[in-house]
Amino acid sequence: MGKVTVLREIAPTARIAPDAKIGPYCVVGPHVTIGPRTTLVRRVFVTGHTSIGSGNLIREGCVLGTVPQDLKYAGHPTALIIGHRNYFGRDVTAHIGTELGGYVTHIGNENVFMDGCHIAHDCYVDDRAHLGFNVMLAGHIRIHTGVVIEDLVGVHHFVTIGRHARVGPRTPVRRDVPPYTNFASEDYGWSPPAVRGVHEEGIRSARLSGEEERDLRQALADLFDDESALQTKIEQMVNMGVEGEVAALCEFCQRSLRGTFGRHRETYRGKPPPEAAQFPLTEQWLDPRRRFP
Amino acid sequence: MPEISSYAVVERGAELADDVRIGPFSFIGPKVHLGAGCVIDNNVSITGRTTLAAKNHVFPMTVVGAPPPDSTGQGQCVIAQANDIREHVTIYAGVERPTRIGSDNLIMIGCQIGPGATIGSHGIFANCTHVGPCAHVEDYVRTSAFPVVDSGVRVGAYTFVAGYTGIDQDAPPYAMVQGLPFRVRGVNTNNLHRCGFGEDDISALKRAFRELYNGSGARPNPAALERLRINPNLNPHVRRLVEAIRSAKPAKGGGDG
Repeated sequence: MGKVTVLREIAPTARIAPDAKIGPYCVVGPHVTIGPRTTLVRRVFVTGHTSIGSGNLIREGCVLGTVPQDLKYAGHPTALIIGHRNYFGRDVTAHIGTELGGYVTHIGNENVFMDGCHIAHDCYVDDRAHLGFNVMLAGHIRIHTGVVIEDLVGVHHFVTIGRHARVGPRTPVRRDVPPYTNFASEDYGWSPPAVRGVHEEGIRSARLSGEEERDLRQALADLFDDESALQTKIEQMVNMGVEGEVAALCEFCQRSLRGTFGRHRETYRGKPPPEAAQFPLTEQWLDPRRRFP
Repeated sequence: MPEISSYAVVERGAELADDVRIGPFSFIGPKVHLGAGCVIDNNVSITGRTTLAAKNHVFPMTVVGAPPPDSTGQGQCVIAQANDIREHVTIYAGVERPTRIGSDNLIMIGCQIGPGATIGSHGIFANCTHVGPCAHVEDYVRTSAFPVVDSGVRVGAYTFVAGYTGIDQDAPPYAMVQGLPFRVRGVNTNNLHRCGFGEDDISALKRAFRELYNGSGARPNPAALERLRINPNLNPHVRRLVEAIRSAKPAKGGGDG
């Protein structure tokens, strides 16, 4: 087998680990970092101040680190930070952050993004999330660990999706999804999407102890079998004393109820969210003349 | 001289303005005209008889002027200036009549504009907006993700189309529409405020919408429509709304829309 010249364009200042694989027709911009054992299969475009960790598989047609689809974005260099061992299916797009949203879009570890997913500016995706085909995340969204989102879901901006929750297929998510719940709409979206039961798979993968699981199931049933008077029920529960996962669930719901339209993160509109403090971007980091040894 | 990557393919016959930038692995067909200040990123295909006026930015993996799937002929696509056409967008070229796109639109990721469609100016089309063949979307229309505009229907100016909405017949201007099939859910006051409408215009439109769509929002009340039509001193925007509703084509599907 003769060696074929690989047509690709990699900026000379891009920092790429020696055992990263970059396939043909890829374009890598000047401020990009690509970690070891990461594979860009073919026709992948990475630009912006994008840092990709190790062991990621990025398939054909992905576009990572382009400018946000936000009219308020003023062109400041902002970052997209991707962790380790993620899978990006075909045509996945992820954008860099905006100035008003804390400068960073962050994707954690071991996430799966199926074909056509979009991760917009200032999203924070934690670990082991599974996003189905064509899931569209709007800006400023927080996806917690172990979330499962089925195909064709659109998520409104500033929404939080709690740990190990599931969102059913073709569901418009306009408010926060509490952890461990199954959030779905029925009859083609005529009924408003709502919490419909427990995400069994999520509870299993969280590996709770027997007692914790029983308490959590009880709390979920108490709160969401009938969602009326949620605030009162949570207050009663907190007054009775809660701990562990149930306390986290109560706090999540209370924060959501306090936010605008049931979205806690609306309180961070126009200012950086607390997660942004984990990723301080110094002027040096963003310097366009940044060079690496 | 245009700044063309050495990996880009620009066919002989393409007309490029002086300061056009074309990224690597892009293809510019032989009958394409690119205006001044156009930025074509990498892996973009621009084919057919396609004209992009000044200052358009086409993002990676986008196809502009794609031949529609049911035709062998070469279509035409006319795009005015200063549009942002984001990643993975497909704009089909119209064979019988050209696909036309106005100026200052933001067409977000994964949108599809069908052959022969007409798009106005200053629109914002969120991800995966599907505009059918020969549909007409007027100025200042904004959409949420995943709406479908059926072939040949008209979406009125300043209207907001909510996520997952199916526009299966002509949608009125100034409205917020939602559902499948869609219902009119009220006046798009946010957009009207942004576009500099006066309070009296907005309150007149609100009154008119309340009269017209006091039921399910499926179809306007004919008595109210007639009352507004014969009113001699009607607000010009309400007049436009009434005319748009009166000239709307009946639904094609025969469903309950």
